[in-house]
Amino acid sequence: MMRIWAHRPPLLHLGLFIAAYVLGCGFAQLLAIVPGTGISIWPPSGLFIATLVLASRSSWPWWVLGGCLSELFSNFLWFHSPLPAAFLIYVGNALEAVAGAWLVNRTCKRPVRLETLQEVLAFVVLAAGIAPIVSATVGSATLAWFGIQSQSFVTAWPLWWIGDATGVLIVAPLALVVFQNWRGKAQFSTARWMEACVLGLIFLGVAALSMSGYLPFAYIIMPPLLWAAVRFEFKGAAVTLILLALITAIFTVTGAGQFAGDPESQKHKQIMLQLFLAISAFSALIVAAISRQHHLAVLTLRQSERSLRELVEALQHSEQQLSQFVNMVPVYLWRLTPEGEPNFFNKRLTDFFGLDIADADRPDKSRLAAIIGTVAHPDDATSLGDALNRCVVTGESFSMKYRLRRADGMYRWMEGSAEPMRDHGGRIVQWYGVSIDIDDRLHAEEALRNRERELSLLVDMVPSHLWRVTPEGELTLVNKRMADFLGLDSGNKRQLETVFDTIFHPDEAEAVWQVLRRCLRTGETFSMNYRLRRADGVYRWMSGRADPLRDESGRIVQWFGLCHDIDDRVHAEEALRRASDRLAQATQAASLAELSASIAHEVNQPLAAIVANSHACHRWLSAQPPNIERAKITAERITRDANSAADVVGRIRALFSHTSHARSPDDVNRLIGEVCRLMADEIAAKDIRIQRDLEQDLPSVALDRVQVQQVFVNLIRNGIEAMDSVEDDPRVLQICSCRDGRDAIRVEVRDTGTGFRDPNRVFEPFFTTKQNGMGMGLAICRSIIESHGGRLWTTNNETRGATVAFRLPLAPSEAS
Amino acid sequence: MLKLKSVVAIVDDDKRLLESLEDLLESAGHVVRTFASAQALLDSDAVPKIDCLITDIGMPGVDGFELQRVMRQRRPGLPVIMITGRHEIAEPPQAKHDWFFRKPFDGRALLAAIGAALTGKEDRP
Repeated sequence: MMRIWAHRPPLLHLGLFIAAYVLGCGFAQLLAIVPGTGISIWPPSGLFIATLVLASRSSWPWWVLGGCLSELFSNFLWFHSPLPAAFLIYVGNALEAVAGAWLVNRTCKRPVRLETLQEVLAFVVLAAGIAPIVSATVGSATLAWFGIQSQSFVTAWPLWWIGDATGVLIVAPLALVVFQNWRGKAQFSTARWMEACVLGLIFLGVAALSMSGYLPFAYIIMPPLLWAAVRFEFKGAAVTLILLALITAIFTVTGAGQFAGDPESQKHKQIMLQLFLAISAFSALIVAAISRQHHLAVLTLRQSERSLRELVEALQHSEQQLSQFVNMVPVYLWRLTPEGEPNFFNKRLTDFFGLDIADADRPDKSRLAAIIGTVAHPDDATSLGDALNRCVVTGESFSMKYRLRRADGMYRWMEGSAEPMRDHGGRIVQWYGVSIDIDDRLHAEEALRNRERELSLLVDMVPSHLWRVTPEGELTLVNKRMADFLGLDSGNKRQLETVFDTIFHPDEAEAVWQVLRRCLRTGETFSMNYRLRRADGVYRWMSGRADPLRDESGRIVQWFGLCHDIDDRVHAEEALRRASDRLAQATQAASLAELSASIAHEVNQPLAAIVANSHACHRWLSAQPPNIERAKITAERITRDANSAADVVGRIRALFSHTSHARSPDDVNRLIGEVCRLMADEIAAKDIRIQRDLEQDLPSVALDRVQVQQVFVNLIRNGIEAMDSVEDDPRVLQICSCRDGRDAIRVEVRDTGTGFRDPNRVFEPFFTTKQNGMGMGLAICRSIIESHGGRLWTTNNETRGATVAFRLPLAPSEAS
Repeated sequence: MLKLKSVVAIVDDDKRLLESLEDLLESAGHVVRTFASAQALLDSDAVPKIDCLITDIGMPGVDGFELQRVMRQRRPGLPVIMITGRHEIAEPPQAKHDWFFRKPFDGRALLAAIGAALTGKEDRP
């Protein structure tokens, strides 16, 4: 129920429907001119069927209800049948409409437009032919049963049926037109309206003429009717039909025309009238449908024609584009027949050759052979022809490099390839080929190869070891010289990767790795000396250096390293250093400990002899009998050895004695220079800067070179050791020399160390502030200087450190 | 006593020491052979005959330690007494205290060490 309620039609539509229904009933009543029947053309049947055909099936009950109300109202107005009879008659009419609409909807697809012949025929047969059978049967039976107008079933039925059929044929098309164009706009041009008006006038005229009373004359209405159907199709047919029905009805009702007659013949005339209308309607509808169909066909044709034209244009456009593409694409395109005969070159290729595809044709050979003979390089022609022919025979893809002659006579390298296109059966239809000019690329590649070869030669020839590592520290390249040195196969990548593990001297390997890793991490320059193992297992000193190569963004891409053999230099330096050490040792007359040891040894030798001799002497004398002879000899030896020991002591005293026989004039500045050179390594190792402040042209001093050198070595060494604990400040040892008065020179050694805590005690023998010293250094220095007639003293500096100074007198000849 | 007179070789580059030691050992009744260098001993015919060796350590050419090594191969078991005038030389760890003397040394102690070495009272190194 709810569904039916939800599908109720708009009240306006229902109201109009009811009004039209009542009017239809009135029209039928008007035409019911046949005496004693009360049956005539029944327009409501057309209205009802048309309404149901277009309405949704769920809303049918509403229309049926509306129809019922209309018909009962009309019965009350005009027909005056007993209510049950009227109701039964309405049931018949409603069944007719429902059955007709159902059949039409079922046969024709919705919405029903009656535009094709098929639809018109279905409509005529089902709605106008079959459906009225229901109402005619029910209606006639009702009339007979109730005895209305004393009708029998048999006499009433044909009239009833044809009346309903005519009603359907005439009204339903109009109703469909009206319903479907309810909101549609008139699409007629002015010319069409003119034509419609003219047609209407002609139609009215002919209609008036046709009602002249002679029956066959009625049918002269057909030409204008069909004209309307042809020109205005369904709408024209519907409108003219209703007009025709009205005119005919007016004439007949007023008793004019051939369908009005006396009461005896009226029934027959009525049938004639209805037949006339039915035939007219049938013909008009058929013609309208045919016209419509024709029109649609023409329209479709035009549309197809238009789309075909567009298609052709699009095709032409794309063909043009394809052709442009083929010619513009920067490669050479060609096509071969399945037999291998060229049948297309793109424009670029014909421009390249300077000849078109047929220009090279020779009567005596194939086109392919002719073209290859003309444009391929003589060295490549045979192999190119063979390769193409082989591909054509086997169906394999073609790919090859060859030289082709350009229009200007230059041969250029091409990389050509071709693929067969096959049909569904796998048969080759065409060969499509492309040639790409690789001449520039080949030359560039060759130039690159040459440069690479030169570079590689350069790298190998450079008289140094070249290597390259990745930012991760993996060795990726060594030059030939380095490979030969290490005994590597420079092409063997795997060997390269592991070579770092074995080539460094075990003493430095860890340090080298540490430094290298740090450099790889920070990007600092790697610079280090280390030993590398030569292929024969000998380690040689190398000086290595590596710098990173960075890309634009500053990221390290590679490390390039260089190392050169400094082994000979290192050994030479080592030898030099050793020699200088020995020299220094000799010059220093040994360190104090060594001096004392050597004094002890010198003294112990004769002492040991004396002791042993004493024992021997004692034994000779204690023997039984005493061996006097041997005892005497032994005693003499004791005397000799004791003298020998005294000599030793004398010699030691002489070392520091005042004697000046070993002295010679010498330049103190030169002496300072020599000592500094001798101690250069020691000074450098302690990171100390020596600042020499020497007065030029100092007069020479008579001195014992060795001893004074010893003084300088001791003073410099003391200064260096005093600055051992200085961390942050610069360690500077200042050595000054200057004239001191008329008859002396002065030398000062100034350090920036810790200074003397007790400057007066430093000259006491065995006084030391150092852990590894005997405390003799300054005492000996002072002794040496005093033996030269000079003076040595110490002071603490005002700011920091201490100064040791000494004064040496000039030779009398030099004093001024 | 294995034999009446033991042969003792003395090697020292100092003639004074050589003479005084020869005198001392002869006074104790030993037969003494003296050599001014280790090489002189090694070149002589005395090597197989000697029963005890006294050698200085610091000598030019073959020094006392080297001589000891050579003698250990040529005369295994031969007692070797080492003397030195250089006090900075440490006592070799393998040497018995009694067989290492610093100059000047006590003559009686040296003679006692020789006597002990010859009678084999001390364990051989």
